[in-house]
Amino acid sequence: MGSKSNPQRKAGEARVIALPADFRLTELADVKAGLLQALEAASVEIDGAGVERVDTAALQLLLAFRRAASARGLPASWSGVSETMRDAAGVLGLTQALELPATMPA
Amino acid sequence: MSKAGLAQFQQVFIEESLEGLDTMESSLLALDNGGDGELVHTIFRAAHSIKGGAATFGFPEISSFTHEAESLLDEVRSGKRAIDAAIIEVMLRAVDCLRGMFARAQAGSPLNDAVAESLRNELAALMGRGAPAGGVQARRNVDQADAWTIRFRPHAGMLAGGNEPLRLIRELAGIGELTVTPELDRVPEFAKLEPTECHLGWTIELKGPAKRADIAGVFDWVEGECDLAIEAKHVVAEVAPAAAATPAAPAASVADAGAVRAQREASAESSSVRVSIDKIDGLINLVGELVITQSMLDTFREGGIDAARMAVLEQGLAQLARHTRELQESVMGIRMLPIASVFNRFPRMVRDISQKLGKQVKLELVGEQTELDKTVLEKIGDPMVHLVRNAIDHGLETPDKRRAAGKGDTGTLTLAASHRGGNIVVEVSDDGAGLNRDAIVAKAVQRGLVASGEGMSDDAVAELIFQPGFSTAAVTTDLSGRGVGMDVVRRNVADLGGTVTIRSTQGKGSVFTITLPLTLAIIDGLTAAVGDERYIVPLVSIVESVQLKAEAVRSVAGGGELFRFRGEYLPVIRLHDVFGCGEAIQAIDEGLMVVVEGEGTRVGLFVDGLIGQQQAVVKSLEANYRRVQGISGATILADGSVALIVDIAGLVRLQSRRKAA
Amino acid sequence: MAKILAVDDSASMRGMVAFTLRGAGHDVSEAENGQLALDAARGGRYDLVLADVNMPVMDGISMVRELRTMPEYKGVPILMLTTESHTDKKMEGKAAGATGWLVKPFDPEQLLATVKRVLG
Repeated sequence: MGSKSNPQRKAGEARVIALPADFRLTELADVKAGLLQALEAASVEIDGAGVERVDTAALQLLLAFRRAASARGLPASWSGVSETMRDAAGVLGLTQALELPATMPA
Repeated sequence: MSKAGLAQFQQVFIEESLEGLDTMESSLLALDNGGDGELVHTIFRAAHSIKGGAATFGFPEISSFTHEAESLLDEVRSGKRAIDAAIIEVMLRAVDCLRGMFARAQAGSPLNDAVAESLRNELAALMGRGAPAGGVQARRNVDQADAWTIRFRPHAGMLAGGNEPLRLIRELAGIGELTVTPELDRVPEFAKLEPTECHLGWTIELKGPAKRADIAGVFDWVEGECDLAIEAKHVVAEVAPAAAATPAAPAASVADAGAVRAQREASAESSSVRVSIDKIDGLINLVGELVITQSMLDTFREGGIDAARMAVLEQGLAQLARHTRELQESVMGIRMLPIASVFNRFPRMVRDISQKLGKQVKLELVGEQTELDKTVLEKIGDPMVHLVRNAIDHGLETPDKRRAAGKGDTGTLTLAASHRGGNIVVEVSDDGAGLNRDAIVAKAVQRGLVASGEGMSDDAVAELIFQPGFSTAAVTTDLSGRGVGMDVVRRNVADLGGTVTIRSTQGKGSVFTITLPLTLAIIDGLTAAVGDERYIVPLVSIVESVQLKAEAVRSVAGGGELFRFRGEYLPVIRLHDVFGCGEAIQAIDEGLMVVVEGEGTRVGLFVDGLIGQQQAVVKSLEANYRRVQGISGATILADGSVALIVDIAGLVRLQSRRKAA
Repeated sequence: MAKILAVDDSASMRGMVAFTLRGAGHDVSEAENGQLALDAARGGRYDLVLADVNMPVMDGISMVRELRTMPEYKGVPILMLTTESHTDKKMEGKAAGATGWLVKPFDPEQLLATVKRVLG
């Protein structure tokens, strides 16, 4: 797993976005701002290992982000996914659309 | 969870419902006097709470009765029906009826009676139906299938309202096996996505036998917040609507019901006080302060004391004294409740009595928020009821008599409560005819209470009505003439450590003044020495203490002693005589005369001397020994010895009985 | 487990709700009316709010409306404790932003089941 946050890194470099433990509706404005900046990076790694609570709105946001990234040709990968997140994506039928890895990366 | 665990709330529910009924009653009466529409909402809210709670806490009869009353109120509230005297009348009767039902609930007897049944029918008839509508709802769409397709599209705002598709789909998974396919095409571009809005949708295939109602039930909260289609793929059978509704039957076992009742009765016996959170928080804060002070003082266990440490110690002790005093005041405050709960019974009573007697009475309540000790509060009601009945019956005049006397048709009856010094003063006053001096004197002469009214002051004449068995009404009405006299009122008040006095002006009205101690649990008193013993004289009774010369006290025929005090001759009560104390001072000029007042009478208590003022925590003598004439209780002094608390009113009675003997 | 705010002017109803939920291990705060509930809600975030509809000072509907204007209460489940006879109140509550409702009378088991339902 990469470092948890690197908000000051310049555009054009690899960026790691660590998702918050409470990854729900009321927290999404901040997460969206971070992701919006990440769209300018050379590549993005999303770290969801620390997510303890998650909701539909959060997964919808990630979905829209991945779409935006792929439209720009920005490589976006997962560096960690918590069980909670994996379970929620499964219930909502979004595992595929979010391209969640089948198992945790080593 | 056990049903017995909930029994505690059953008692709370009964208490708050009785308060709610009081509120309903006073609001109905206010409406009757042209009050505003907000009152209807207040009445409705009270009825609504009683209905909801009654069903929850196991009183379905009360719930169903209140439902009828509530429906009627709802029509008034929503403007479908105008409020009129007939509705107020029937609602007042409903309030009485519910009080009866709650009383029976507390006693554990059957809740419904004939009155309740007929009133319930009357309410239902007013609503234009004979019986309450049943809850059977026909649903045409109820069916069952082996497989379902559910199309679920939340509206954008659904997530912010707290309904989470994750939860809904998980609930569906509890009904059958799911295949969930998301609809992603409506999700906007990332930069434009408002994260709190929902733009996803789902098509869910559900396999396994399920009823439409079960599936629809999952989405009950999101009706109007989503597009929802539930389609059966393999229909199994049509199910009749009646069978589809599975009634949840939480039939408590007989043993459970018994436990609840036992608990209810137990809690009804030990009375409770409801305490505001603020008061409790205040107490917790104070205890916290005490703990801090204690730990600070604890540091003095070790090490010597120098000047600097001495200063800290003194400061700590001062703090301890302050916190203890504040804690005491706060704890006493818990027992204090507003007198409003007593005052609130009177509007209805005054209305009923004045209608019966053909009198017009306006009732004014002043100082309803004045707080009294709970015990005092519980016992002050009866004496007040008597005074109020008397005032309407004997004091206030009929409209034609009032007109003849040059007054307005409507008489005013005022109940006022206030703090005065360390006491609570409750006044019952009217602007009626006042006491009829001649009638009282004539009656007193007839009863042999006095030889004649010659030379008696108006106050002295007024005092006569407090004599046992005194009644002045020319015609005894069924209201006041119930064998309870003013003497009983005075005795009831005296039992609370209070006094009743009257001021009356012929033609202008009367004022009865009840003076009560703030609390029965602690009194302020002066410690007096009599021989080897110590007595506490309640501070409220003390007028003055004087040192007399031997010749100031004169013996009178019959064995009594008198002394002159402010132009009045007062009898002397020698405490050492009354209580049989040895070694006490006998000579008047060596001891002290404490002038005290009880039941409107002044006497001099002769004691050896006064030691000091102190607050005494009252211990019941009756509970620990037996009732002793002239003693109201005992207390423990700082040195651990016991001092008896002098009952001034009792001593005065004792004295007058001796005089009469 | 969860931080829950129980709002009802009836001490018995509020007490029953709090007692039941505390028994299930939740951290329950109580408020007597909508206004006091708002004060409590401003002082800390609750995972669930249970509120009576008819209350003095501020009713449950107005309370929900106010709560939903607070960013930290977007998406937080708010359930109205209501009576069956008032379907219009359910809808009014929903319109104000309530998540759902629990119909009075309810027993502790129903309460726990509903709370479990919203908290997952």
